Amino acid sequence: MIDSNPTFRGGLFHADLPDGRSGASIKLTRTELVAEALCEGQPQFAIPLNECQLDLGGASGKMVFCRNADRSLTIFSEDPSFVAAVAQSAYGTLEAQFRSLRARRRGEANRFRVGVVAATLAFALVCVGVYFGVLAAARTAVRALPIRIDEQIGEMAIQSLVPEPRLDADHPATLLAHEIVQQLQPHAAIPEMNFRVLVVASDEVNAFALPGGQMVVYTGLLKKAESPEQIAGVIAHEMSHATLRHGLQGVSQSLGIVAAVQFLVGDLGGLVSIGSQLAQKSILTSYSRTAETEADLEGARMLHEAGIDPVAMAEFFALLEAEVGDIPDVAAWISTHPQHAQRVEDIRRLLQGLPKKQYRSLDLDLKATQQALQ
Amino acid sequence: MEVDIRNRPSFANLMVQLEPGDRIIAEAGAMASMSSNVEISTRWSGGMSKAIVKRVFGSESLFVNEFSTSSPGHVVLTQPFPGDMVCTELTGNTLFLQPGAFIACEPGVTLGLGWAGLRSLIAREGLFRLKVSGHGRVWFGAYGAIFTREVQDEYIVDTGHLVAYEPTIAIRVGLVGGIFSSFFSGEGVITRVQGQGKIYMQSRSFSGLAAWTNTHLY
Repeated sequence: MIDSNPTFRGGLFHADLPDGRSGASIKLTRTELVAEALCEGQPQFAIPLNECQLDLGGASGKMVFCRNADRSLTIFSEDPSFVAAVAQSAYGTLEAQFRSLRARRRGEANRFRVGVVAATLAFALVCVGVYFGVLAAARTAVRALPIRIDEQIGEMAIQSLVPEPRLDADHPATLLAHEIVQQLQPHAAIPEMNFRVLVVASDEVNAFALPGGQMVVYTGLLKKAESPEQIAGVIAHEMSHATLRHGLQGVSQSLGIVAAVQFLVGDLGGLVSIGSQLAQKSILTSYSRTAETEADLEGARMLHEAGIDPVAMAEFFALLEAEVGDIPDVAAWISTHPQHAQRVEDIRRLLQGLPKKQYRSLDLDLKATQQALQ
Repeated sequence: MEVDIRNRPSFANLMVQLEPGDRIIAEAGAMASMSSNVEISTRWSGGMSKAIVKRVFGSESLFVNEFSTSSPGHVVLTQPFPGDMVCTELTGNTLFLQPGAFIACEPGVTLGLGWAGLRSLIAREGLFRLKVSGHGRVWFGAYGAIFTREVQDEYIVDTGHLVAYEPTIAIRVGLVGGIFSSFFSGEGVITRVQGQGKIYMQSRSFSGLAAWTNTHLY
């Protein structure tokens, strides 16, 4: 009679078993749950269905436990058909117990999901908070550091970041760029900064500043300019990056964010060192939108003080943007810079707040320089 | 087959005396020394695809070694870190082992990999767990001493101290107290083990060692 009933794999707990437990082969009769232990001697244990106390749990959360009245015997199985068989047995008397157990389990699972979502959101919020906190702290900290540090970082970066060939110091293009720097220097936010300019022979329309006042201008940019004032606009913009110390801010923010990530997540080791090497150039020479806008405004202020029309700076941006479509090289410089219309408007708004001034034209022969570059 | 756990608890190792016909399956790399007449055959740990899954998710070896002999001999098996080992006999029941704990088993034991779930991952016990089932003895090791407990209802274990548990046990992640005491008591996230069954714990944890080492690096 018993053998005609289905058999399930499972296990049982009872004090008479070696170590108190064993795997078991479980059978369900009309009145009893019978478990045959798989250990030596194969002893049998039974729980009458009418005194069976059910529980759901285990590592999977889907294991069914059946206990007798004094809880001295526990028979359990994870077999999905076992659950259905027990629920339907004893004329459905255990069905109600199952329903309440399942409801409880669902409630727990839902609470866990809500917990996970809440914890993820909280973690994300902390990350965002730490990120902006670090950015703000880095800005403040950098201002307190001596300029000498900017210069040292800039010196170290020249070798690896400034491409060859570089024009000689007495080349007309270098002299022109140097002359513009000389005229702008007294009006810089940090006039005592050691501003220097290197001209790189490359058709790429590009210019960048390293921390500490070292600037790099590509011959492609000098050839593209329509007036010396436009070049002065670009150089004023790059000088502003140096005086506003954007390079050092980038370094400290990156270091701060790496430190913060390590604090939150643990050691990232190799990944971080690879990432920081890859990011070296971009950290030192390309800046955030905010930094670019700051450099525009500071550059415009310097040009205004020096008596050069800041609109020339905006004109040059417009010139570049008009040609982005045709000349891919131009994209190098303009890609990281804010929208042209926006920056022209920002510069004009700044000028409205400044006293009116008669602007002069720079006494520099750009045409001759451009011919020397051909 | 007689197996003796020697040099307990700090530097436990298994001295396996093999008679003709005896076989023992061990984690790859566990053999420290053996008689020259003992034969070793290497195979995928439960088939190639399962072995790869075990390697990637369970930190177990790709291969297992089976030792057998035609004349009496012995094999010495060890684990890579200092600590105790225990033997448990399976009688058709199942045991979950944390990644890296398994050392050896008799041929009647099946090695499988079970999904442990997100809760286990948060408890730093890994996303997967090694599942040993069938009939026969299983030896597994831990970092530090091993102690067991028969859980009846609920018990709390610090994360990283759980070595093995029965499938009748549910793993829940929780905070030891409120938010403040959880983060400043040094206990942080803990594991709540619930249900009826036996759990094996280790007296040291790798994350504890790593954190301690970290503070002495600079």
